[in-house]
Amino acid sequence: MTATDHTHAASPHDPHGGDHGHAAGDFGPHHVTPASTFLNVLIALLCLTVITVAASRVDFGAANLLIAMLIASIKASLVIAIFMHVKWDTAINKIVFLSSFLFLSLLFVFTLSDQATRAWDSWPSKVKAPVDKEWEHPSKVGSHQ
Amino acid sequence: MTTNLPAIDVHAGLAARRPNYLQVTKGFWSWAATLDHKRIGIMYLIGVSMAFLAGGTFALLIRLHLWDPHGALFTGPNGNVTYNQIFTLHGAFMVFIFIIPAIPASIGNMVLPLMLGAKDVALPRLNLVSFYFWCAGTALALYAILAGGFDTGWTFYAPYSLYTEQAVVSIGMGVFILGFSSIFTGLNFIVTVHKLRAPGLTWFRMPLFVWAIYATAILQVLATPVLGITVLLVALERTYGVGIFDPRLGGDPVLFEHFFWFYSHPAVYIMVLPAFGIISELITVHSRKPLFGYKLIAFSSLAIAIISFLVWGHHMFTSGQSTYAMFAFSFLTFFVAIPTAIKEFSWVATVWKGSIALNAPMLYALAFLIIFAIGGLTGVILGSLNVDIHLHDTYFVVAHFHYVMMGSIALAFFAGLHHWWPKMFGVMYSETAAKVACGLIFVGFNATFIPQFIMGSRGMPRRYATYVPEYEFFHKFSTIGALIIGAGVAVMVGCFVHSLFAGKKAMQNQWGGVTLDWQTPTPPPLENFDTPPVVTHEVYDYTTLDLRTLQTPAS
Amino acid sequence: MSHDHGFVVPAPGDGFLPHTVAHHFDTPTQEFQAAKLGFWLFLATEILLFGGLFAAYFFFHQEYPQTFHVGGAQLNWVLGGVNTTVLLLSSFTMAMGVRSAQTSQKRKMQFYCWLTILGGAIFMAIKCYEWHVKYTHGLGPPVIAGMHVEQWFKDTHNVMADVPHGHLFFALYYTMTGLHGLHVVVGLGLILWIIRDGGKGRFHANYFLPVDLVGLYWHLVDLIWIFLFPLFYLVS
Repeated sequence: MTATDHTHAASPHDPHGGDHGHAAGDFGPHHVTPASTFLNVLIALLCLTVITVAASRVDFGAANLLIAMLIASIKASLVIAIFMHVKWDTAINKIVFLSSFLFLSLLFVFTLSDQATRAWDSWPSKVKAPVDKEWEHPSKVGSHQ
Repeated sequence: MTTNLPAIDVHAGLAARRPNYLQVTKGFWSWAATLDHKRIGIMYLIGVSMAFLAGGTFALLIRLHLWDPHGALFTGPNGNVTYNQIFTLHGAFMVFIFIIPAIPASIGNMVLPLMLGAKDVALPRLNLVSFYFWCAGTALALYAILAGGFDTGWTFYAPYSLYTEQAVVSIGMGVFILGFSSIFTGLNFIVTVHKLRAPGLTWFRMPLFVWAIYATAILQVLATPVLGITVLLVALERTYGVGIFDPRLGGDPVLFEHFFWFYSHPAVYIMVLPAFGIISELITVHSRKPLFGYKLIAFSSLAIAIISFLVWGHHMFTSGQSTYAMFAFSFLTFFVAIPTAIKEFSWVATVWKGSIALNAPMLYALAFLIIFAIGGLTGVILGSLNVDIHLHDTYFVVAHFHYVMMGSIALAFFAGLHHWWPKMFGVMYSETAAKVACGLIFVGFNATFIPQFIMGSRGMPRRYATYVPEYEFFHKFSTIGALIIGAGVAVMVGCFVHSLFAGKKAMQNQWGGVTLDWQTPTPPPLENFDTPPVVTHEVYDYTTLDLRTLQTPAS
Repeated sequence: MSHDHGFVVPAPGDGFLPHTVAHHFDTPTQEFQAAKLGFWLFLATEILLFGGLFAAYFFFHQEYPQTFHVGGAQLNWVLGGVNTTVLLLSSFTMAMGVRSAQTSQKRKMQFYCWLTILGGAIFMAIKCYEWHVKYTHGLGPPVIAGMHVEQWFKDTHNVMADVPHGHLFFALYYTMTGLHGLHVVVGLGLILWIIRDGGKGRFHANYFLPVDLVGLYWHLVDLIWIFLFPLFYLVS
């Protein structure tokens, strides 16, 4: 029941694996990330979390959200590159996840810029008329049933 | 799946002593639990064909009702609401249950692994799951009909979809599940194209149908989730009054339209790109000439996929979005015409001086070239912001999208069925009957929708149950055309069904194709190839065609 | 050509099971890469699914900044911060779990997976507590189908009285954290399955694909929360 270490790597004394070991056999791409790398990333993520909270205490005006998202993006990049292994992954996997963010950003850009530029129109489109009558389904309007 | 039988020499046409994929196992569960992409493709084919017939029935009901300016079928105090439900059903069934899955999931499933020289798709169990998701989504849609129906139009715009009858949540969840069916199919095909190509089959030796399905799959994976979240939000809003799309609660119905069309515009390319792929294959085989501009067509599929994400606001020109957004969308919309036109010109250039066989699949393909030109060009007209202000929500729009969705995509689907039928079933249909059906459909189609262009430009609004007498002639003409389409479809279906019971044996290589799908025995064995293929020549190299295979009967 | 048996990947030692590659793949590498690509495509769909909700968030934040400012102040940033820390730690333990599978350390893999589950469970417990507190203040969530806004958003302490459409902030909060929470629960189930099958010796240096994929899923769950935390808890 003892945990036997099966790494092929050159440091069998450290059960957590000291370097970028390559696991046994030729049964698929195997880059084994050292535990120290994971630990460093964790510490960085925790620090960035503290920074996020600290930054929220300062008022940057309109840039508040942007700065929060920027810090979050850095954290996300670390998780994706190291924890999710993308740094050592095939090109196509990198392209896949990058594309998802790219196309998502299209949704953001067009939707938000539509809303932001509505005020530029010459008619008062931001004015919403008050609703004073409850809406009725057309089948019930004026019917006798 | 263990066979110890000798490999078949296709060219010598030896009678097969090993079963083909239809014979290898029998019984209900051998189909219901199959992992064979060909069987899954056939199950999808049956499903989407029934959806097409259902959607077509709703269409006939619409057209019969519109025979009379006061409405011929659905009269009485609830007549208009019933009419609304019927056109909603027509749209929802045709878009979500028929067209989006049709070509990729039926023909794509049958043919893609064959074209790649693979034994199956990359994730066969996911393939079966996709099919059952399609079934579940369709079942929910049927339940929604029984639960009271829905009258929102297939676009279920807020705020009406938030207030109207109950069954919106049911159909919404049905659409959600159908969306995941589509996503899983696309995901599967992307992985298959990347990882399961035969040795020697480089990207630029792949048939153009594969490029088309690949581009489609990208759209399925990236765009469909946004539809998923949209229906989820509508369901939440109806159930819990969250207020995101409801203007009374501070929400924004235009935001709904942004979300909806972010998916639904790429969705129309999910529908049409596979059709382009079919036409590419048919044009080259039936002209026995390599496709003009192979790389142009391949890259144009990807270009269309990418540009399709940039233009969705052209469905919303009268909705209340900002003028500047509308400028941007209209400007970007014109760009999508460029790769599309490249395809159309390349196909015509392929046919030019080719050795044209005017058989049924080719007739459908040639009809496509004409009809799609009209459909595509009228799309450019609608993409012009100033013109669209007048044409939006008129029959001009209806005619445009039927020219692309029915006249182009459905026709390409029929063309593909006629083309690969002998491969999949080893039997041929009656060529005469098929041509008659094609003629009826072509004539009927134009008779139905040309009047709609005219009356749309003269102001006839869409989704109206009644109309003023000025449009009566056009509506009646259109209804007669619809009946002719119905007759043509009936002949086509009869022709196919008859072939399954009493059709003549097809040839090993019925049309003289040189892509890998025609190098495998007809019908294919369970694992598609008797010996794993190695590709050594370019994709449409007809000098490699062995004419004996056109004379050798199927096994 | 393997018609009847797929490529068999041997076990690296005692206590482990060999793995048979699916018949339509030629090599284990092909199977691994295909599965991973497929899973990344699935993660892309999850990003776009949640992305739609983020788009709605940004849209309404732009339209009603005051509502978000005041709404954010109602949320307990300390609890949110604890949740963020817990999830980051669980991401670390999950990565270590995958690493243990890659190095054929069965017990270690199960240990790290249990730690991950613990993290996820703490996260869900805190989340449920937060929702409960909001509920007692009349700020939702809606619990019965068919409720209108006035029925679930009573705002008993009138904290959102001065800003327009306060329910919008909370509607987005419950929808986004709710969908996220659902994904956390699914993730916990998947990790339990990995622990169970790992105990049988299925995962080792020569075949650790399912552990890798479940790890990716869990990291995605963490990723989404990384963005949710500042948007809801630190927006005031």
